[in-house]
Amino acid sequence: MRPEKGSLTEPRQQQGTEPSEAELIERAKLGDAEAFQALYEKHKRRVYSLCLRMTANTAEAEDLAQEAFLQLYRKIATFRGESAFSTWLHRLSVNVVLMHLRKKSLPVVSLEETTQGTEEDSPKRDFGADDVALAGSIDRMQLQRAVDNLPPGYRTIFVLHDIEGYEHNEIAKIAGCSIGNSKSQLHKARMKLRDLLKMNRAEKAGKSRAG
Amino acid sequence: MNCVELQRSLGEVEDGSSLEQRSHLRACSACSELVRELNLIVAAASQLQAADEPSPRVWNSIEIALRQEGLIRPPGVGRPQVPSFSARWGRARWLVPAAAMLLLALGIYVRRESLPNQLAQQAAVAVPVAIASDLDDDDLMQEVAANSPAMKPQYEENLRWVNESIRDAQGVVDGSPNDMEARRALMDAYQQKSMLFEMAMDRSLP
Repeated sequence: MRPEKGSLTEPRQQQGTEPSEAELIERAKLGDAEAFQALYEKHKRRVYSLCLRMTANTAEAEDLAQEAFLQLYRKIATFRGESAFSTWLHRLSVNVVLMHLRKKSLPVVSLEETTQGTEEDSPKRDFGADDVALAGSIDRMQLQRAVDNLPPGYRTIFVLHDIEGYEHNEIAKIAGCSIGNSKSQLHKARMKLRDLLKMNRAEKAGKSRAG
Repeated sequence: MNCVELQRSLGEVEDGSSLEQRSHLRACSACSELVRELNLIVAAASQLQAADEPSPRVWNSIEIALRQEGLIRPPGVGRPQVPSFSARWGRARWLVPAAAMLLLALGIYVRRESLPNQLAQQAAVAVPVAIASDLDDDDLMQEVAANSPAMKPQYEENLRWVNESIRDAQGVVDGSPNDMEARRALMDAYQQKSMLFEMAMDRSLP
């Protein structure tokens, strides 16, 4: 863990090796401010990115990340080490975000249990596949924008499974859906992302031809 | 298996690896291209994990809340002594607890039922606190520049953010003196600034 350069709350490095996470947790249980901050610095990107991907809103994501860490620190005395600390924190963060989405009456999992007739009866339409095939690698910013444009239910499943690595049985428990629903929603989310990415590339290709 | 069945089956076997899927994909370039593109998306997804950094205000807010809840203990024995500050900072140092007392008095007063003319007086009380705080900012930044220049940008960023919050909240209170929420927001903003100075004093500057 590297301390943030120039940070107002930059933790002092102890001489010798950096403290282990287990040591930081024990110190945090005793109220050590630097231990709190060291744990924050270690996990902030993962927690914040999760919140940002699921809400597509930086202000909301910061508030939720703050809430997740506060809940963590309030409960840290109860952490016994049965699971990895990062797993515990991550699960807590997911719950904080899902509670927030539920309060906003946004679907945590897409309510689209059945597909629309026109989509299922024929193969997906390609958007000028020859010109805008998703070749090579996908630009991170483009993918980020496409994820932000997903409907909230699809976005949740895609973030939890493909970005954060949760299995379908875990998502089913977290999101309160069936495993089958999690799988089908994930597939639809990926199909939707594919469409969004192809549209984006088609627009760019059109602009460069015009210009 | 036709194309529709293949696409439907991808919901269950995501990577097209089942016998039936592979058989269809060998014969169908469109579906083969579809599966390839979906796999590209999955592969790219990992780039988004831990890709972003929250602003400094997140930790500031967390630390303030933890101190308010008493979850962070004061520095114990064995920590390096707080370095002595210059005479100028020594004078300004006393302004912080004085400002905190003013904030506390203002907070108690703000939370009572009050008449509009008293509310106008409360807004006026905040002005000398704001002026004192501006003087503290200069003293603090000069001390930081002298003792730990590497931390100056971060201190400047945090002070800028807190002062902006105070100005915004003060603006709302000036426009709507009867707005209880606005006055609470102003109190919270001053409290955060007070905590910021307290944190800076508690911590030894490297």
